[in-house]
Amino acid sequence: MRRLAVVSCALAAAAVLVAGCQASGGIDVTEARVGAPTGPNAALYFTASTEGGEPDVLIGVSTDVAGNAEIHETTHAEDGTMGMRPVPSLDLPAGETLTLEPGGLHVMLMDVTPLDEGERISVTLQWQSAGEVEVEAEVVSPADTLGHDDG
Amino acid sequence: MPYSPSAPRLRLAALVAAFVVVVAGCAGDLSTGDLQGVVIEEPTAKPSFTLTDTDGDPYAFESETEGRLTLLYFGYLNCPDICPVHLAQIAEVFDRDPEIARETEVVFVSVDPDRDSPGEIREFLDQFDTDFTGLTGTREELAAAQAAAGVPEAVLVGEGEDYTVDHAGWVIAYGPDGLNHAIYPFGVRQSEWANDLEILVGIEG
Repeated sequence: MRRLAVVSCALAAAAVLVAGCQASGGIDVTEARVGAPTGPNAALYFTASTEGGEPDVLIGVSTDVAGNAEIHETTHAEDGTMGMRPVPSLDLPAGETLTLEPGGLHVMLMDVTPLDEGERISVTLQWQSAGEVEVEAEVVSPADTLGHDDG
Repeated sequence: MPYSPSAPRLRLAALVAAFVVVVAGCAGDLSTGDLQGVVIEEPTAKPSFTLTDTDGDPYAFESETEGRLTLLYFGYLNCPDICPVHLAQIAEVFDRDPEIARETEVVFVSVDPDRDSPGEIREFLDQFDTDFTGLTGTREELAAAQAAAGVPEAVLVGEGEDYTVDHAGWVIAYGPDGLNHAIYPFGVRQSEWANDLEILVGIEG
Protein backbone atom coordinates (compact mmCIF):
# COMPACT_ATOMS: atom_id res chain seq x y z
CA MET A 1 0.00 0.00 0.00
CA ARG A 2 2.78 2.33 0.93
CA ARG A 3 4.58 1.50 -2.30
CA LEU A 4 1.47 2.41 -4.27
CA ALA A 5 1.34 5.79 -2.52
CA VAL A 6 4.98 6.44 -3.40
CA VAL A 7 4.35 5.57 -7.04
CA SER A 8 1.29 7.84 -7.09
CA CYS A 9 3.37 10.66 -5.69
CA ALA A 10 6.05 10.11 -8.29
CA LEU A 11 3.45 10.11 -11.05
CA ALA A 12 1.88 13.29 -9.69
CA ALA A 13 5.30 14.92 -9.51
CA ALA A 14 6.02 13.87 -13.08
CA ALA A 15 2.68 15.31 -14.18
CA VAL A 16 3.54 18.60 -12.51
CA LEU A 17 6.93 18.62 -14.23
CA VAL A 18 5.39 17.92 -17.61
CA ALA A 19 2.81 20.65 -17.05
CA GLY A 20 5.65 23.00 -16.13
CA CYS A 21 7.50 22.13 -19.33
CA GLN A 22 4.46 22.79 -21.47
CA ALA A 23 4.20 26.32 -20.08
CA SER A 24 7.77 27.03 -21.14
CA GLY A 25 7.96 29.99 -23.49
CA GLY A 26 4.19 30.21 -23.65
CA ILE A 27 3.83 33.60 -22.03
CA ASP A 28 1.80 36.10 -24.00
CA VAL A 29 2.71 39.70 -23.13
CA THR A 30 0.71 42.61 -24.52
CA GLU A 31 0.43 46.37 -23.97
CA ALA A 32 4.03 46.65 -22.76
CA ARG A 33 4.65 50.36 -22.22
CA VAL A 34 6.91 52.53 -20.13
CA GLY A 35 6.16 56.10 -19.07
CA ALA A 36 8.81 58.49 -20.40
CA PRO A 37 11.06 59.10 -17.38
CA THR A 38 10.54 62.45 -15.63
CA GLY A 39 13.05 61.69 -12.89
CA PRO A 40 15.51 58.94 -11.99
CA ASN A 41 12.77 56.31 -12.15
CA ALA A 42 10.22 55.19 -14.71
CA ALA A 43 7.34 52.71 -14.54
CA LEU A 44 6.84 49.75 -16.88
CA TYR A 45 3.38 48.26 -17.38
CA PHE A 46 2.11 45.25 -19.34
CA THR A 47 -0.48 42.51 -19.45
CA ALA A 48 0.56 38.84 -19.34
CA SER A 49 -1.15 35.51 -19.72
CA THR A 50 0.01 31.99 -20.53
CA GLU A 51 -1.01 30.66 -23.90
CA GLY A 52 -2.06 27.32 -22.43
CA GLY A 53 -3.62 28.87 -19.34
CA GLU A 54 -1.06 27.33 -16.97
CA PRO A 55 -0.07 29.28 -13.88
CA ASP A 56 3.33 30.92 -13.66
CA VAL A 57 5.16 33.37 -11.42
CA LEU A 58 7.03 36.50 -12.48
CA ILE A 59 10.20 36.47 -10.43
CA GLY A 60 12.35 39.16 -11.97
CA VAL A 61 12.71 41.85 -14.60
CA SER A 62 15.81 43.30 -16.21
CA THR A 63 16.59 45.81 -18.93
CA ASP A 64 19.72 47.49 -20.24
CA VAL A 65 18.17 50.95 -19.87
CA ALA A 66 17.91 50.78 -16.07
CA GLY A 67 20.40 50.21 -13.27
CA ASN A 68 17.85 48.10 -11.46
CA ALA A 69 14.29 46.94 -11.96
CA GLU A 70 11.93 46.08 -9.10
CA ILE A 71 8.37 44.82 -9.09
CA HIS A 72 6.27 47.32 -7.13
CA GLU A 73 2.78 47.45 -5.81
CA THR A 74 1.07 50.81 -5.31
CA THR A 75 -0.59 50.95 -1.92
CA HIS A 76 -3.82 52.80 -1.20
CA ALA A 77 -4.36 53.60 2.47
CA GLU A 78 -7.81 54.37 3.84
CA ASP A 79 -6.92 58.03 4.35
CA GLY A 80 -6.11 58.41 0.65
CA THR A 81 -2.35 58.13 1.06
CA MET A 82 -0.62 56.29 -1.77
CA GLY A 83 2.78 54.63 -1.70
CA MET A 84 4.91 51.95 -3.32
CA ARG A 85 6.18 48.67 -1.91
CA PRO A 86 8.54 46.23 -3.60
CA VAL A 87 7.07 42.75 -4.02
CA PRO A 88 9.35 39.76 -4.65
CA SER A 89 7.17 38.09 -7.27
CA LEU A 90 3.80 38.22 -8.99
CA ASP A 91 1.49 35.25 -9.41
CA LEU A 92 -0.10 34.61 -12.77
CA PRO A 93 -2.92 32.26 -11.76
CA ALA A 94 -4.09 29.51 -14.10
CA GLY A 95 -6.30 30.83 -16.86
CA GLU A 96 -6.06 34.40 -15.64
CA THR A 97 -4.41 37.58 -16.81
CA LEU A 98 -1.78 39.49 -14.87
CA THR A 99 -2.24 43.22 -15.41
CA LEU A 100 0.32 45.84 -14.44
CA GLU A 101 -1.22 49.32 -14.66
CA PRO A 102 -0.88 52.76 -13.05
CA GLY A 103 -2.12 52.84 -9.48
CA GLY A 104 -1.81 49.05 -9.21
CA LEU A 105 1.30 47.11 -10.10
CA HIS A 106 4.34 48.30 -12.02
CA VAL A 107 7.95 47.46 -12.60
CA MET A 108 10.00 50.38 -11.36
CA LEU A 109 12.99 51.02 -13.59
CA MET A 110 15.55 52.69 -11.35
CA ASP A 111 18.40 54.90 -12.52
CA VAL A 112 16.86 54.80 -15.95
CA THR A 113 18.63 56.30 -18.96
CA PRO A 114 16.86 59.17 -20.78
CA LEU A 115 14.12 57.76 -23.04
CA ASP A 116 12.09 59.56 -25.67
CA GLU A 117 8.44 58.98 -26.41
CA GLY A 118 8.06 56.58 -29.33
CA GLU A 119 11.31 54.78 -28.52
CA ARG A 120 11.13 51.02 -27.94
CA ILE A 121 13.09 49.32 -25.20
CA SER A 122 13.89 45.66 -24.71
CA VAL A 123 12.91 44.10 -21.39
CA THR A 124 13.55 40.57 -20.08
CA LEU A 125 10.83 39.09 -17.88
CA GLN A 126 11.94 36.13 -15.81
CA TRP A 127 9.23 33.55 -15.12
CA GLN A 128 9.48 30.63 -12.76
CA SER A 129 8.30 28.08 -15.34
CA ALA A 130 8.59 29.81 -18.70
CA GLY A 131 12.07 31.16 -18.03
CA GLU A 132 13.24 34.32 -19.73
CA VAL A 133 10.78 36.06 -22.02
CA GLU A 134 11.95 39.04 -24.08
CA VAL A 135 9.43 41.81 -24.68
CA GLU A 136 9.55 45.19 -26.38
CA ALA A 137 7.97 48.09 -24.54
CA GLU A 138 7.05 51.40 -26.13
CA VAL A 139 7.98 54.63 -24.38
CA VAL A 140 4.82 56.75 -24.03
CA SER A 141 3.84 59.98 -22.28
CA PRO A 142 3.07 59.33 -18.60
CA ALA A 143 -0.41 60.62 -19.44
CA ASP A 144 -0.88 57.72 -21.83
CA THR A 145 0.19 54.95 -19.45
CA LEU A 146 -3.41 54.77 -18.20
CA GLY A 147 -4.47 53.33 -21.54
CA HIS A 148 -7.31 54.42 -23.76
CA ASP A 149 -9.46 57.31 -22.53
CA ASP A 150 -13.05 56.43 -23.42
CA GLY A 151 -14.41 59.85 -22.46
CA MET B 1 -41.56 90.38 -56.62
CA PRO B 2 -39.06 90.35 -53.79
CA TYR B 3 -37.61 87.07 -52.68
CA SER B 4 -39.45 85.52 -49.78
CA PRO B 5 -38.24 82.41 -48.03
CA SER B 6 -40.46 79.42 -48.39
CA ALA B 7 -42.21 77.96 -45.38
CA PRO B 8 -39.83 74.98 -45.08
CA ARG B 9 -36.85 77.34 -45.02
CA LEU B 10 -38.45 79.33 -42.23
CA ARG B 11 -39.02 76.17 -40.25
CA LEU B 12 -35.39 75.19 -40.73
CA ALA B 13 -34.27 78.63 -39.60
CA ALA B 14 -36.45 78.33 -36.52
CA LEU B 15 -35.01 74.92 -35.76
CA VAL B 16 -31.44 76.21 -36.09
CA ALA B 17 -32.26 79.15 -33.84
CA ALA B 18 -33.80 76.83 -31.26
CA PHE B 19 -30.72 74.60 -31.39
CA VAL B 20 -28.41 77.57 -30.84
CA VAL B 21 -30.48 78.62 -27.82
CA VAL B 22 -30.31 75.10 -26.37
CA VAL B 23 -26.54 74.89 -26.84
CA ALA B 24 -26.02 78.36 -25.38
CA GLY B 25 -28.30 77.42 -22.49
CA CYS B 26 -26.22 74.33 -21.74
CA ALA B 27 -22.99 76.30 -21.78
CA GLY B 28 -24.45 78.84 -19.39
CA ASP B 29 -25.77 76.17 -17.06
CA LEU B 30 -22.45 74.46 -16.29
CA SER B 31 -22.63 73.84 -12.59
CA THR B 32 -20.70 72.03 -9.92
CA GLY B 33 -23.35 69.31 -10.21
CA ASP B 34 -21.73 68.32 -13.51
CA LEU B 35 -18.27 67.86 -11.98
CA GLN B 36 -16.80 64.41 -12.49
CA GLY B 37 -14.24 64.69 -9.69
CA VAL B 38 -15.09 63.96 -6.06
CA VAL B 39 -17.31 66.92 -5.19
CA ILE B 40 -16.86 68.55 -1.78
CA GLU B 41 -20.42 69.11 -0.57
CA GLU B 42 -19.44 71.94 1.75
CA PRO B 43 -16.48 73.59 0.00
CA THR B 44 -13.64 74.58 2.30
CA ALA B 45 -11.49 77.70 2.09
CA LYS B 46 -8.12 77.80 0.36
CA PRO B 47 -5.40 77.23 2.96
CA SER B 48 -2.84 79.82 3.92
CA PHE B 49 0.77 78.64 3.97
CA THR B 50 4.10 79.97 2.78
CA LEU B 51 6.77 77.82 1.12
CA THR B 52 9.71 78.51 -1.20
CA ASP B 53 9.36 78.49 -4.99
CA THR B 54 11.89 77.15 -7.48
CA ASP B 55 13.52 80.61 -7.75
CA GLY B 56 14.17 80.49 -4.02
CA ASP B 57 11.55 83.15 -3.28
CA PRO B 58 8.84 82.92 -0.63
CA TYR B 59 5.48 81.86 -2.06
CA ALA B 60 2.35 82.61 -0.04
CA PHE B 61 -0.08 80.14 -1.55
CA GLU B 62 -3.34 81.89 -0.71
CA SER B 63 -2.38 85.37 -1.93
CA GLU B 64 -0.30 84.22 -4.94
CA THR B 65 -3.24 82.25 -6.34
CA GLU B 66 -6.03 84.62 -5.29
CA GLY B 67 -8.94 84.77 -7.74
CA ARG B 68 -7.49 81.96 -9.87
CA LEU B 69 -8.58 78.41 -10.51
CA THR B 70 -5.84 76.52 -8.63
CA LEU B 71 -4.79 72.87 -8.62
CA LEU B 72 -2.67 71.87 -5.61
CA TYR B 73 -0.77 68.58 -5.47
CA PHE B 74 1.76 67.12 -3.05
CA GLY B 75 4.26 64.63 -4.52
CA TYR B 76 7.93 63.85 -5.09
CA LEU B 77 10.32 63.55 -7.99
CA ASN B 78 11.35 59.90 -7.62
CA CYS B 79 7.70 58.89 -7.93
CA PRO B 80 7.24 57.07 -11.27
CA ASP B 81 3.67 55.82 -11.05
CA ILE B 82 1.36 58.50 -9.61
CA CYS B 83 2.89 61.99 -9.78
CA PRO B 84 3.92 62.08 -13.46
CA VAL B 85 0.59 60.65 -14.55
CA HIS B 86 -1.42 63.35 -12.72
CA LEU B 87 0.82 66.17 -13.99
CA ALA B 88 1.03 64.86 -17.56
CA GLN B 89 -2.75 64.51 -17.76
CA ILE B 90 -3.24 68.14 -16.69
CA ALA B 91 -0.50 69.33 -19.06
CA GLU B 92 -2.12 67.56 -22.02
CA VAL B 93 -5.49 69.16 -21.24
CA PHE B 94 -3.69 72.55 -21.16
CA ASP B 95 -2.07 71.85 -24.54
CA ARG B 96 -5.49 71.31 -26.06
CA ASP B 97 -7.15 74.25 -24.34
CA PRO B 98 -4.72 77.19 -23.98
CA GLU B 99 -7.46 79.38 -22.54
CA ILE B 100 -7.99 77.01 -19.60
CA ALA B 101 -4.19 76.86 -19.23
CA ARG B 102 -4.01 80.66 -18.94
CA GLU B 103 -6.76 80.69 -16.31
CA THR B 104 -5.35 77.91 -14.12
CA GLU B 105 -2.51 77.79 -11.60
CA VAL B 106 -0.90 74.40 -11.01
CA VAL B 107 1.06 74.24 -7.76
CA PHE B 108 3.21 71.15 -7.09
CA VAL B 109 4.67 70.79 -3.60
CA SER B 110 7.58 68.39 -3.19
CA VAL B 111 7.28 66.50 0.09
CA ASP B 112 10.79 65.04 -0.30
CA PRO B 113 12.97 68.02 0.70
CA ASP B 114 16.10 65.94 1.31
CA ARG B 115 16.26 64.71 -2.29
CA ASP B 116 14.37 67.29 -4.36
CA SER B 117 16.25 70.58 -4.73
CA PRO B 118 14.45 73.66 -6.13
CA GLY B 119 16.45 73.30 -9.36
CA GLU B 120 15.49 69.64 -9.74
CA ILE B 121 11.84 70.45 -9.03
CA ARG B 122 11.99 73.09 -11.80
CA GLU B 123 13.54 70.60 -14.26
CA PHE B 124 10.93 68.00 -13.32
CA LEU B 125 7.98 70.36 -13.83
CA ASP B 126 9.36 71.83 -17.07
CA GLN B 127 8.92 68.40 -18.62
CA PHE B 128 5.17 68.89 -18.22
CA ASP B 129 4.62 72.66 -18.36
CA THR B 130 7.04 75.50 -17.71
CA ASP B 131 4.24 77.51 -16.06
CA PHE B 132 3.64 74.95 -13.30
CA THR B 133 4.72 76.32 -9.93
CA GLY B 134 7.02 74.16 -7.79
CA LEU B 135 7.40 74.58 -4.05
CA THR B 136 9.57 73.17 -1.31
CA GLY B 137 10.34 73.97 2.31
CA THR B 138 11.66 72.62 5.55
CA ARG B 139 10.05 69.51 7.00
CA GLU B 140 8.18 71.69 9.47
CA GLU B 141 6.94 74.07 6.78
CA LEU B 142 5.82 71.16 4.59
CA ALA B 143 4.02 69.51 7.51
CA ALA B 144 2.21 72.78 8.20
CA ALA B 145 1.25 73.16 4.52
CA GLN B 146 -0.13 69.63 4.34
CA ALA B 147 -2.09 70.10 7.55
CA ALA B 148 -3.50 73.40 6.27
CA ALA B 149 -4.52 71.75 2.99
CA GLY B 150 -6.17 68.90 4.88
CA VAL B 151 -4.06 66.08 3.46
CA PRO B 152 -2.31 63.38 5.51
CA GLU B 153 1.35 64.17 6.06
CA ALA B 154 3.74 62.37 3.72
CA VAL B 155 5.85 59.62 5.30
CA LEU B 156 9.26 58.33 4.18
CA VAL B 157 9.31 54.55 3.78
CA GLY B 158 12.37 52.31 3.48
CA GLU B 159 16.03 52.89 4.12
CA GLY B 160 19.02 54.07 2.16
CA GLU B 161 18.81 56.36 -0.83
CA ASP B 162 16.05 54.37 -2.53
CA TYR B 163 13.41 55.21 0.08
CA THR B 164 9.94 55.99 -1.20
CA VAL B 165 7.41 58.52 0.04
CA ASP B 166 3.81 57.73 0.93
CA HIS B 167 1.76 60.82 0.11
CA ALA B 168 -1.77 62.01 -0.58
CA GLY B 169 -2.79 60.66 -3.98
CA TRP B 170 -5.24 63.36 -4.99
CA VAL B 171 -5.16 66.80 -6.60
CA ILE B 172 -7.10 69.54 -4.78
CA ALA B 173 -9.04 72.01 -6.94
CA TYR B 174 -9.88 75.52 -5.70
CA GLY B 175 -12.22 77.64 -7.80
CA PRO B 176 -11.55 81.33 -8.53
CA ASP B 177 -13.83 81.92 -5.50
CA GLY B 178 -11.08 80.49 -3.28
CA LEU B 179 -13.05 77.40 -2.27
CA ASN B 180 -12.15 73.72 -2.65
CA HIS B 181 -15.02 72.36 -4.75
CA ALA B 182 -13.60 68.99 -5.75
CA ILE B 183 -10.65 66.65 -5.40
CA TYR B 184 -9.20 64.34 -8.03
CA PRO B 185 -7.99 60.91 -6.91
CA PHE B 186 -5.48 59.00 -8.97
CA GLY B 187 -6.89 57.61 -12.21
CA VAL B 188 -8.80 60.71 -13.36
CA ARG B 189 -8.83 60.83 -17.15
CA GLN B 190 -8.06 63.78 -19.41
CA SER B 191 -11.68 63.98 -20.55
CA GLU B 192 -12.77 64.37 -16.92
CA TRP B 193 -10.16 67.04 -16.29
CA ALA B 194 -11.24 68.93 -19.42
CA ASN B 195 -14.89 68.77 -18.36
CA ASP B 196 -14.24 69.86 -14.79
CA LEU B 197 -11.70 72.63 -15.40
CA GLU B 198 -14.18 74.36 -17.70
CA ILE B 199 -16.80 74.29 -14.94
CA LEU B 200 -14.43 75.22 -12.12
CA VAL B 201 -12.97 78.22 -13.95
CA GLY B 202 -16.45 79.76 -14.11
CA ILE B 203 -17.07 79.69 -10.35
CA GLU B 204 -16.72 83.34 -9.41
CA GLY B 205 -16.41 84.52 -5.85
